[in-house]
Parts: sequence; structure tokens; C-alpha cells
Amino acid sequence: MDMLLSNPTFVLIQVLNSISLGMNLFIIAAGLSLIFGVLRVINFAHGAFYMFGAYIMFTVAQEAELGFVTGVVAAAAGLAAIAVIVERGLFRWLYDKEHLMQLLLTFAIVLLMGDIAKILWGTDQLSVSYPDALRGATDLGVTFYPSYRLMLAVIGPLIFLGLWLLIERTRWGRLTRAATQDMEMLSALGINVPMIYIVIFVIGSALAGVGGALAAPINSPTPGMDATIIVECFVIVIIGGLGSLWGSFVGALIYGFVFNFGSVIVPNWQDVFAFLLLMAVLLVRPWGLYGKPEREGH
Amino acid sequence: MTSTTRITAAAAALLAGSIGAAQADIKIGVLYPTSGTGAVYGVPAMQGHDMAVDEINGGGGVGGEMLVTFARDTKLKPAAAAAAAKELITKDNVDVLVGGLSSAVGLAISEVARQEGVIYIATIPKTIQMTTTKLHKHVFRTSSHTDFEGDAMAQIVAQLGKTKLCDIQLDYAYGHDLAAGIEKGLKRHAPNVEKVIDLRSKLGATDYNAQITQILGTGCDVVTSGLWGSHFVNFAQQAQPFGLFDQVVYISGGEIASHEIAGRMGKDYPDNVWSNTYELWYDHTVPAHEKFQADLAARAGTKETAMWPVLAYIGVKFIAAAAEKAGSTDADELAAALEGMSIDTPVGPRTIDPETHQADTGQFWGPMVRKEGVDYRVMNPVTYIPAKID
Repeated sequence: MDMLLSNPTFVLIQVLNSISLGMNLFIIAAGLSLIFGVLRVINFAHGAFYMFGAYIMFTVAQEAELGFVTGVVAAAAGLAAIAVIVERGLFRWLYDKEHLMQLLLTFAIVLLMGDIAKILWGTDQLSVSYPDALRGATDLGVTFYPSYRLMLAVIGPLIFLGLWLLIERTRWGRLTRAATQDMEMLSALGINVPMIYIVIFVIGSALAGVGGALAAPINSPTPGMDATIIVECFVIVIIGGLGSLWGSFVGALIYGFVFNFGSVIVPNWQDVFAFLLLMAVLLVRPWGLYGKPEREGH
Repeated sequence: MTSTTRITAAAAALLAGSIGAAQADIKIGVLYPTSGTGAVYGVPAMQGHDMAVDEINGGGGVGGEMLVTFARDTKLKPAAAAAAAKELITKDNVDVLVGGLSSAVGLAISEVARQEGVIYIATIPKTIQMTTTKLHKHVFRTSSHTDFEGDAMAQIVAQLGKTKLCDIQLDYAYGHDLAAGIEKGLKRHAPNVEKVIDLRSKLGATDYNAQITQILGTGCDVVTSGLWGSHFVNFAQQAQPFGLFDQVVYISGGEIASHEIAGRMGKDYPDNVWSNTYELWYDHTVPAHEKFQADLAARAGTKETAMWPVLAYIGVKFIAAAAEKAGSTDADELAAALEGMSIDTPVGPRTIDPETHQADTGQFWGPMVRKEGVDYRVMNPVTYIPAKID
């Protein structure tokens, strides 16, 4: 606590900690939020997708030694493939069913993928090395900061920008936004709505895979890692507003800052602040900072 | 499905009868986490358990009676463990409970054992409460505990002549109790050490940057910790680019010197780490260890074996010895047999204190160093710090 007041470098480091944590979480939360925004499915299995991303990274980069970038690409591709199977094989039968059914289905996928991960990768806590170029620390003039964390802090905003351009500035993005408003009308206009659904689900799931792959060097792939991340993602998207890209971005940053500075101010009570914030949002603005209130009868 | 199971069970029973096994088996309810996060430890622990059961049954059982295992997954959750323990007692009629992983789970199983009047041998949980404030006549512990562990860590702090100490622990029973154990140890062995900061992370936490940078800011020369398993892997991976391990000696409980951590982290395992383990596959200080490790390696299919099996193995050996001595599976008679009982194990002799029901289980401690020819670290020198507090 004293260090916050007396040591500006320490504050800078905490700011960087907050941003890099927030940006890693953003990549994953954005996928969850995107899928909900269009498909109206709360995908509990998103955490399991993230876990698979981390495991694929381990297999490709650590065991097969094919390199870090290959690992990220493989994780994205692997999760895209899983997404196609899950969406075509399971989800599409449930879009017009009640939300509870969808939740139960995604929960079943969580259990299934947990067991598959155990069969494929065993139960050890695995470890993924940093890529050589990002192993050390970067000199920022006033202090050194881990290069890998800096990379995360940069990659998050890039992904945000990419998603924003895709959704706000392309014809395809306009159709996607239209699908969130009224998919029956869109369908009647001759647009292939199922195609939009599947593409969105693939993109969202691939983001979970990329997030897991990027987290692997700082977050050892291990059974159960899906449960931790899904809670963090829910906190972020609820604070930011489910379905909103800006919401995920700002929510993730808020979470990063609250988590880090909470720990500095009250070292024994790290988690409580994020959840207090979550409660406040739920009470005052249940649709989140950037979300829209649900219409009646929806 | 159910009827198939029944028929299979009946067939198995007939078969068992026909080869002359006794009717009254000794039923052991075993509780380890075999799914989720805890599977990392629970799965190898089950290997050790099964190995001990097979050894004993292969040698004719206990007084002609076979050990029969009824295994349940605790999922690393106290509520699930308590429910499983109750089910083992009421449905399967087990004579004794063994296992438990995580202090919270251990306390939950112990409570069921107290209520139901069944013996529980805790093989892994370390919280001191189990054999002090929450002690009852049917609970016994063969693992070490947080006071022994904290005392050993304080001895190392003193030995290395460190003066400014930062402590980081997981925010649950084990972490709190270990912090208290270190605190008590420091008073005995290193009264001049200044404790600069107490940091807490939640169980399952994955991001330690805030804590790492706080430790760096305080200028500590030693960090004590009980971050175990993947907590340590994450902490170490995140702390290395900050240069933390160049600045401090990291003295850790939680068995991060065990080969399952050292082997997995390989060259990423940090410098300046001192830690503990119950067993090292490459250390045959106790002669009986050599055969134990060879058998385990054959069972596991790897040359390097994990540390957890020996804990579960010892638990079963105590059950067998107690049943032999008591000549019965009655809980009170087993308890009387266990009090003061000594057995030899692959990691040295173990005696259960008749008052506290705690085995004198010390641990191997030492610095984790590079070794030529292999890409993982090993403990060298290996020092056994016995379980006694002066």
C-alpha cells in the first residue's frame, strides 16, 4: 500500500500488470460475448475451449517443438474445428429451445471435454516455455517489464480492433448485427442466417483457443483450468454487458485493474473487489456498462 | 446395467470363494480426487494405494483376509468428499477410510469419521487442526503437518542467514496453517528475521503478477511459500522474467521438489529454490526404497516416478498392520492398535503418536540444482529433516 503512494515505478508496473492480465482475459471474454450477442447462447464450454487451446499449445510448441506462432495458429484452427462440430452437431438443434436446455447442453460439453482432455493429456500440471524472443524483460526506460506480458498488452487491442472493423465496417458485419436484431426478417430477405451463426461461433471459439494458447506460458495447462477462466469471463462480460464488444474490452480492463490494485491495497483479500463490482453492476445496471436492457417479452 | 453388475459381483464372489479366500474381507474406503484439478495427485496416489493392496493380498492378505478397495472420487471438494465418505460407510460398509487430499477435504472426511465412528487415516492433508483442535479418537494422520513443515522452513531460513522475509500463501486452511507454522518456527530458529509482508492468493489462482511485483518492491531476501502444484508452476513462470529468483531465495513447502513438478518444468524450473518432498525416485537413502521404486516404475510404466504414491502406500500398510495387530476390524480395536504403532516404510520408519494420532513423518529438504546429463532439476544435497519440534 505504501509503495503505491511513494513509488511511481511501482504504480506503473501495477498498471502494466493490470493491462496485460485484462488483455489476455479480453481475448477469451470477447469470444464468449460475441457468441452470446448473435446466437443468444451462453456457452459454458467456452472455458473448456480455452483449456483445449492451452493444451494444443503444449502439444505443438512444447512437445513437438514446432514453435510458438504455430502453436497459436494450431490452437485457433483446432478450436475452429471443434466449434464446427459442436455447432452443427449440437447447438443448431437448440436455438429455438429454452435457455435452460442450452445451458445444460453446454455444461454437458464441459464435462465431456474435461474427460477428453484427461485422456489426451493426462492429469499432470504441464508447463509451456516462453518463446525465446520473449523470454526476458524489456527495458522501458524507468523499469524492466516481462516482454511476454507486454506482447499480451499489445495483442489484445489488436484483436479488439480487428473484431471492431469486422463487425462495424464490413457488409458481413452489418448482416451479423442485423441477425442479433431480427433473424427471422433477415432470413426472409434471403440471407443465410445459419451460415452467420456458424461463422460467429467459429470465430468466438477460436478466440478462446488463441486466449488459451497465449496464456499457456504463464498459466500451466492443467485439468480444471476451464472452471477458473469461465468465472473470470462471466464477471467481465456481466460488468461490460453481454454481447457488447466494447463491453468485453472495458470490462476486461476494469477486471485487470481491480484484481491487481485490490491485491496491492488489501493483500489478503484479492478477489473480493471484482465480485463487489459485479454485485454493484447487477444491482444498478444489470445489463452491464455497454449492454442494452432486454426488451419485454424477449 | 445394474443386474449385470450384480451378476458380475456374484461371479467374482464365487470365484474368490473357490480359490479359498476368507469370507470376511477387510473393506477399505479410499478417497482421492481422480477428476478435475486434483487428479494430478489423486491418480498417482491411487497407484500407490493399489500397489500396497496388491502386495499385501499377494502375500496372503491379513490373517488370511483380503484387502478390498472401494474407491470414490472426492473431486477435491469437501462436500463431495463428505458425501462419498458417508456413502462408503453406509452403502459399502467399509471398515476403514483412507486418503484425502487438501486440508479442507481431510477435515471434512474426518468429521464424517467422527460422526460414524469409523477409522480414518489421512495420508496427504497437512492442516495442523486435524491432529489438534479437530482431533478425535478415530482419526489418524500419516502425512506430515504444517507445524513440522513450517519449522523445517524456518530452519532453512536460519541456515541460509536470511533476514528480510516475504510470505505468500494460498488463502485456505493449508496456507493459513503453514504461515502460522513458519511464524512459530522463526521464533525458535531465526528470531531476528523481519517478516515484511504477508501475501495471500486464492486456491486455484492463476495470476501472481501483483504479488510478485510487491515482493520485489519490498526488497526481501527470502520468500517463504506453500504454493503447490500448478500454483507454483504459474508463479515461477510469471516471476522469472521479473528476475525474482535472482533476488531472493525461495523456500517452499507444498512438495514442489517432487519429481512431478521438477520433471515437468524441466529447464524452466527456477534458480534458488529450496523445497521439500516425501520421496524422490532417485534417492535410495532408505534401502527398502530401491525395490519400492522399481515396483512402482513397473506399474507406472516410467523410469521416473511420482511422489504421491508413497503416501497412499503407507496409509494402506498402516491399515494392514493395525488389522493384523487388532485381529479385528472393529473401529475401537483398530484405533487402539494404531496408537503408538511403528512400521517400516520405503522412506524410513514411521511411528504414530498415541496422544496426537500423528505419525512422525519428516520430509526431504534441499536446494533444487541442475544436474549434468538431464534436463530437469534434482535435489542435492538431500537432507531428511525429522518430524520433531524442539
